[in-house]
Amino acid sequence: MKREPGLSFALRWSMFLRLLLLQASWNPQRMQNLGLLYCLLAWLRRQRTDTDFRRHFFRRYYEFFNTNPYLAGFLAGGLARLEADRRRGAAIPRQMLRTYRDSLGRTFASLGDQLFWLGLKPALTLIACLLALRGSSLAALALFVVFGVCQLGLRWWSLGVGFGSGMEIPGILAHPLWHAAIRVIKRTALVAMGLAGGVFAARYQCLGGGSRLAVFGMGIALGLLTPLALRRRLPGEIMLLIGFAVCLGLGFAISPAGG
Amino acid sequence: MLSGVGFLAVVPVSAWSPLALTGLLAGLLCLDETAAVQSWLSQPLPAALLTGLVWGRPDVGLALGVPLQMALVGNLPVGQSFVADAVTATIAVTAAACRIPLAGLGLPVPGVPVDLALWGWLLLGAGLLSMLGHWVIQAERAAFGLWMHEGRSSLIDGDPGRLEHLHLRCLAVSFLRGSSLSLVAMLLVQGLWWPGFAHLGAPVHRGLGLMPFLLPGLGLGALAERYGWRRCGPWVLGGAGLALLFCRVVGP
Repeated sequence: MKREPGLSFALRWSMFLRLLLLQASWNPQRMQNLGLLYCLLAWLRRQRTDTDFRRHFFRRYYEFFNTNPYLAGFLAGGLARLEADRRRGAAIPRQMLRTYRDSLGRTFASLGDQLFWLGLKPALTLIACLLALRGSSLAALALFVVFGVCQLGLRWWSLGVGFGSGMEIPGILAHPLWHAAIRVIKRTALVAMGLAGGVFAARYQCLGGGSRLAVFGMGIALGLLTPLALRRRLPGEIMLLIGFAVCLGLGFAISPAGG
Repeated sequence: MLSGVGFLAVVPVSAWSPLALTGLLAGLLCLDETAAVQSWLSQPLPAALLTGLVWGRPDVGLALGVPLQMALVGNLPVGQSFVADAVTATIAVTAAACRIPLAGLGLPVPGVPVDLALWGWLLLGAGLLSMLGHWVIQAERAAFGLWMHEGRSSLIDGDPGRLEHLHLRCLAVSFLRGSSLSLVAMLLVQGLWWPGFAHLGAPVHRGLGLMPFLLPGLGLGALAERYGWRRCGPWVLGGAGLALLFCRVVGP
């Protein structure tokens, strides 16, 4: 990776720390706008600027902004680079900065959703549950710590790549590795789902025979069919309440002797 | 019950140190959920486990963390309009269960009796608390929206300090919200929810006893639906086959 002279260690460190707080002021109207601005202020603070420059700078970034927090480093680094180039006299119109921010923000949000929320999170949490079930609670905890460290590394690296690439970030996005990673991680999550289902089933079979296994199976059917029947997905908490209602019905239906 | 000395009496002096640690942990994990870092240590399993460790009862943390994590595994923040507060709920219920202290609460293993109904009651309590947290988070975000508009003054006078101050104020509010609500919810679970268990009838106890076995399946089913069962079936079935083979060789 080409290290640009503008991205000193101190600036990168400051931007990195601020990037970790990207969503601290998340709000429904403009989402991460203040968070992005807070991150870019690390760069602005190192420039000699007048009030007029700062006012225009704030206006540029006070608009709606949303992206995936784990991949935001590419964009924050890229924007700092474009601002630095602009300050050095490069012909970068304000509208181009806006288009760059919005289009890349959306793209990274979509990639991040697929990679982290729909792939890595279910896979990691299911594997952690399996480890915890086997009695390796510290291993389960360590798994989250390892993820935490890796995502910090990704954010640090992406900040440097974003700054180094500037306008070339779309080239990074076009790399086939993204889609391969999404495919592999999603399949890992699916296998982890199967593993969890199998381990829980075997455990319940061992603990209480068929009745507990039947309740577990009923849970799977309920989780699978409720969104299909209602034609909308419900949060886990509401599903939990529906599950309670079903259990309550079963509690009244089964006799103590047969329970 | 929740007034004056009677309310404070549920907190003995010797418990202040883990209580303070629980408040600190809750504040930090609430930040981790959305505001800062997002390391996923705020997921129900690690949150419950860490709370259990703070109170010297990691077994209780596991007993509550695993079914909650499984039940909420399909909660993915993608196009989500309902934002529950699982962190506060998990920490509050786990800390209360550690403080009571409850015998017979742990992941079931052959030969060790577990109070399944009480386990289900606590899991239900965590679910309800998490749902209630939705409105608190909505109120917090509405306040952040108002403060964001307050920052417009910097667009006129060019003061970066105001924007930084606003952003950090939001961070502090999230920390305080997580910290204080977890402790209040913990006292509510200890003072109201747990005593309420004794007044439930036998059929409700039987129903609650089924909850810990239903919840993991519920979460897996919801996740399978999200992925598209038909398309992903072979991978899931392959994993299940591997698990059954493993359990046959090593034991469940």
